[in-house]
Amino acid sequence: MAENKKKVTLIIERQDGPKEKPYKQTFEVDYRPGLNIVAALMEIQKNPVTKDGKRVAPVVWECNCLEKVCGACMMVINGRARQACASLVDNLEQPITLAPARTFPVIRDLLIDRSVMFESLKRIQGWINVEGSWDMPDAPRQNPYTAQTAYEISHCMTCGCCLEACPNVGPQSDFIGAGPTVQAYLFNINPIGKYDEPKRLEALMGKGGITSCGNSQNCVEVCPKNIKLTTYLAQLNRDVNKHALANIFNK
Amino acid sequence: MNTTFYVRRLHSLCGLLFLGAVLFEHIFTNSTALLGPEGLDSALAMMELIPKPIFYCLEIGCIAVPLLFHGIYGIYIALQAKNNPGHYGYVRNWQFALQRWTAWYLVVFLIWHIFYLRIYLKGIMGHPINYALLDSYLSNPIVFILYLLAMVAACFHFCNGITTFCMTWGIAKGPRVQNVISVLSMLLCVGLCLVVLAFMLHYVIM
Repeated sequence: MAENKKKVTLIIERQDGPKEKPYKQTFEVDYRPGLNIVAALMEIQKNPVTKDGKRVAPVVWECNCLEKVCGACMMVINGRARQACASLVDNLEQPITLAPARTFPVIRDLLIDRSVMFESLKRIQGWINVEGSWDMPDAPRQNPYTAQTAYEISHCMTCGCCLEACPNVGPQSDFIGAGPTVQAYLFNINPIGKYDEPKRLEALMGKGGITSCGNSQNCVEVCPKNIKLTTYLAQLNRDVNKHALANIFNK
Repeated sequence: MNTTFYVRRLHSLCGLLFLGAVLFEHIFTNSTALLGPEGLDSALAMMELIPKPIFYCLEIGCIAVPLLFHGIYGIYIALQAKNNPGHYGYVRNWQFALQRWTAWYLVVFLIWHIFYLRIYLKGIMGHPINYALLDSYLSNPIVFILYLLAMVAACFHFCNGITTFCMTWGIAKGPRVQNVISVLSMLLCVGLCLVVLAFMLHYVIM
């Protein structure tokens, strides 16, 4: 009965190196309940033979946690940026197309270089300078409501879905994207981090900062962690505008 | 000095205040055509009452300069976008793409509109703009359609601009208020388009 087994067809956009031309290959893997894209790619890795029976180099991709926490396996599945580990074959239309997120430089096949987001986090000063160690009564207080917002934003795993879906992020533009921008707000609402708020707002006012946002709002639609990105972008817009007024009238 | 932010915000203000006012002035003045030739001609005669030096200052300071700045910087902004409503077909993403497509159309249209009507006919030939001229001009179906498209594009670009203005200035923060503003401004767009349709069809039917 092996021939009658249900198959899953995957059309994968491949690329042999950063400067090589992309090409497509079709693979078939056996269907099983609960199969996700990472598991399907693992099947291809075990037996890298295309649908036409040609043995090829195994498909390269990246993954770590397999539970939608690390962000590493972000790719374009059926035209939409998402996590491969959290994409169940049952919920996808066939044939399934896989492509690398071309907003980022492609290293090989589905493997991309997402380090540009790390550079953006450095640019917006995505850290708290000295949190220090405190005795209990002297420690700076966290407002519990602010802490809830901070918890939500801290879920960001720099997967890059928001950058891939954004029409204003890409080689044609220098926009750092929603994820790294909104991280500035996370550190601005921290009781120690707020002292560096002007520095972060200045960074956001520069070229490719928050002004490059064009309000397409794709980011909030695709965010796998459901972070209310557009709400925090609007809040940062408000903060940046106030900061600009201060710049104009205080100097 | 960090100029990106200020230039970008100036672009937003320019569009909403100056070009919004220009659009409303056009719709308001042209809607008087509904009252027949006397309506439009007397409305245009009222504008002639503005002393010439002030009129030219207004034309240059409140129309030409903001329009050139908004247009040229707008082209730079539009070139930074890779529209993708085919993959991400959300309403806001369609509006984002339409904002840029209407902008491209308006850039081309306004070059034709301003050079032909304002600079060539009125400026160089000294031909007064009046009902009779527009009536014969718009009797050409191609001109009529191109003008109608331009008016609809301008109304959409302005009304969607109100929505994005409220987002970029941090006025509308949460999704609920952003939705309300988006719906209201699209209703305004429909209203403006109906007025435009009414006075433009008036030329053809009458």
